[in-house]
Amino acid sequence: MKTIRWVTAGLLFGAVMVGSGSPAAAQLEGECSGSGVWKDSDLAVDAESVGDELVTIPRKDTVDWQGSVSGPPGEYSGSIWIELPPPFGKVEIDNWGGTSDNNNNAGSEDYDLPKLVPAGVEFKVVGEHTDSNGHCEGYVRLEIEGGAFDSPIIWGALVLTALTGGPLALLLIAMVKSAVGAGIGGAR
Amino acid sequence: MKVGRLIGACALGFFFFLFVAIDLVLFGVIPLNSVLVTLLPLIGLLLVAVIGVVSSRGGGAAPAEQPPAPPAPAA
Repeated sequence: MKTIRWVTAGLLFGAVMVGSGSPAAAQLEGECSGSGVWKDSDLAVDAESVGDELVTIPRKDTVDWQGSVSGPPGEYSGSIWIELPPPFGKVEIDNWGGTSDNNNNAGSEDYDLPKLVPAGVEFKVVGEHTDSNGHCEGYVRLEIEGGAFDSPIIWGALVLTALTGGPLALLLIAMVKSAVGAGIGGAR
Repeated sequence: MKVGRLIGACALGFFFFLFVAIDLVLFGVIPLNSVLVTLLPLIGLLLVAVIGVVSSRGGGAAPAEQPPAPPAPAA
């Protein structure tokens, strides 16, 4: 989970404070800002300007990130997570908390996502940060570069679909046949 | 249709539609956090249940075949 944590933290934000974390996502509300630059793929994301656009990130790269809040954060806390379909809630990627006087931070992070993480799937990554300046929250829609068949997971999903779909089709055909047969018998 | 067979069919409907939803997510047709991922398995379960109940009622409602009428007595 560490690689995912870093790529999402780098993408979403670059807005991790020195000693604190301030998520600045694609849709931002609050006094914070952040951006990230993917070195190898030449991708740049500014949290405030990217809007609701779907961001496609490479499976492996180095992200230079930076972020800030409007003033010394004091006591702070926050987290980022991936949203799951309702009612399953979320999967937390990272959280932070503490005390700091520094209102900006920057860094560089390598990541390499494993093949099992599916490409082409749209994730909504949400983050929030609270400190003495107030509350900042936002989200970004992202997907990993590539297609469905880049991950072996798709084969498992297709096999399971066929394994359940075949017997279900046979059962439904039998049901319909018996109903139709009964109907024809009753019509004599 | 027997109740056990109907429950089995409903379970198959649930899982089939669940895997279809997963396929749709993996192919990028719907986002991971889409409510369809939750709804599709339930729709599958209900759909198969309705088809099963309707087909079993159709079978139950069919009148039994009448035996041939006895030959009329000779005048």
